[in-house]
Amino acid sequence: MEIGPLADVTESRYSYERMFAFSPHRPILPADLVATLRPVTFAKSRMLPLGEPWGALVPGGGLRRGSTVVVQAPPGLGGLSLALSLLTESSARGHWAAVVGVDDPGVVAIADLGVDLRRVLFVPRPRGAWAESAADLLDGVDLLIVRPPSRASLGTARRLMDRVRERGTVLIVLAESGAPWPLPADLSFDVTQSQWATSSRLDARYLTVRVAGRGEAARGGEHVVVLPNRRGRCEAG
Amino acid sequence: MERLLAIWVEALCEEAPDGSTLRDYSALLDALTILCPFTEPVRLGLLALPVRGPSRFFGGEEAVLAAVAQTVRDVTGHEPSLGVADGLFCAEVAARRGLVIVPGATEQFRRSLSLKVLGRKDVATTCQRLGLHTVGSFADLEPARVAERFNKHALALHRVARGESPELGGQRDLKLVKRLRQLRGENGVGEEQMGFFGQRGAGDDRAEAAAHRVRRRLGADAVVVASLRGGRVPEDRATLVPWGSPPSGARDSAPWPGQLRAPSPATTLAHPVAVQLRDGGDHQIVMGSRGFLSETPGVLLFSNQMRRDVVWHAGPWPLMERWWSLDRRRAHLQVLLATGEALLLTAESSRWWLVGIYD
Repeated sequence: MEIGPLADVTESRYSYERMFAFSPHRPILPADLVATLRPVTFAKSRMLPLGEPWGALVPGGGLRRGSTVVVQAPPGLGGLSLALSLLTESSARGHWAAVVGVDDPGVVAIADLGVDLRRVLFVPRPRGAWAESAADLLDGVDLLIVRPPSRASLGTARRLMDRVRERGTVLIVLAESGAPWPLPADLSFDVTQSQWATSSRLDARYLTVRVAGRGEAARGGEHVVVLPNRRGRCEAG
Repeated sequence: MERLLAIWVEALCEEAPDGSTLRDYSALLDALTILCPFTEPVRLGLLALPVRGPSRFFGGEEAVLAAVAQTVRDVTGHEPSLGVADGLFCAEVAARRGLVIVPGATEQFRRSLSLKVLGRKDVATTCQRLGLHTVGSFADLEPARVAERFNKHALALHRVARGESPELGGQRDLKLVKRLRQLRGENGVGEEQMGFFGQRGAGDDRAEAAAHRVRRRLGADAVVVASLRGGRVPEDRATLVPWGSPPSGARDSAPWPGQLRAPSPATTLAHPVAVQLRDGGDHQIVMGSRGFLSETPGVLLFSNQMRRDVVWHAGPWPLMERWWSLDRRRAHLQVLLATGEALLLTAESSRWWLVGIYD
């Protein structure tokens, strides 16, 4: 069962024991009902799964709900594909995603990656209102890719990240090397090198990605991934 | 002009108050689409399909006529009147009279018609007073003389009469396609795209509410959803429709020989950007009729004077789809720039266009 952001609330503040901790009229409920009122979230359900090969490369093996991920790449060198490849596993398991500010999404490439198109909302041209649209969508989706059309201001970034933390969504910011995200992210993917393998056509692209983050994610490293490979998917290099 | 088979079903041209006419028409269109995927709804009571392809498949025009007539009888229970001629105007006239005009004789057939079939009484009456009784005699007038005496509508008729235009202005019912789509939406599984997602959970409702909020903020077309349909190249296979619009019927199920294989560009431009492809000596590169490049690509110029060196290319892969009617020739080319970016270009109408970025 999908628990959603309500689960966090159940765990911390409204568990049955705490609700009536200081009340003299503690209602007597059947034991099986009480059991359902106990905290139901585990660390795992607060993680969104990552597909191959990211599961093995990212600390914790997934994306923590409420965290902000920054994907940074020089223009045209695989940043968009990388951001989209982070959606695949969650999308396959029924989570909703939205993509804001990607003007002309390559639908075939997105489908080839393994993203379920039926659960992706695109807001291609949010014009000046990209941050507002993103905030609107945060309540409705589990993963949100945002490509700010211009450099995001510090205030906008902070408001958005606070909201993400509160709602338990995962925000994936797609930033170009020239316009970095103004705040430190929980997890960051930096494309440092991109190399195409070719035959009689474009075959596969080898991306060198530096994965880094805060806390347990701090000990990152450089990895080579194939994105996209000959079938349009992502795999370990 | 394309050789068309027109299907005239007298009983379906008057709309019944219970909507049964449109339903029968829609059912007939579906059935005929199985015989020929390019069957077009023209207006109530009239359909047309290009006869050349099917006649090769069924083994001659006679066989196509028999198959179509049988289909109409089976689906609607009415006897159709069929006609074959070049262009929609002549095909309709032929269908109403049940004639098959042999290839090459359409011109003669059209010229022999009475002026009344053009459907404008004022033009017919005036011409009659001038001693012009047939379409042919009207066609022999100089266009300038027609323009002097009549209005622009008559000039359009004149173009049809001369065989320069395949159909009359009012021949097609432009709203019919939309009405058919609405009809299918009502009869289908779900009216909205959302209904297509199988079981609905709490997540679907939350997403729906979020999409509504963005739509209120940015307008009805701001949120789009994507799906795939059949096609050979990425820009043809992608469908992006505003969220909440009825689902497109087409699904990607048939094999497409010659399909451009993965990887596909992560950015597919809805409006291709014109670019210039030049060789090392700064000469324009053109694609010859046999599908070869005139020179090896060396430089790519974007419209804003941005210049990039091309280090590698693959293709071109020519694509000729429905060459008998659309006359659309395209060729796709993959290029790798010195900066490391990979792009998908197409050559069409002797120009180069940027259609995709392997971002």
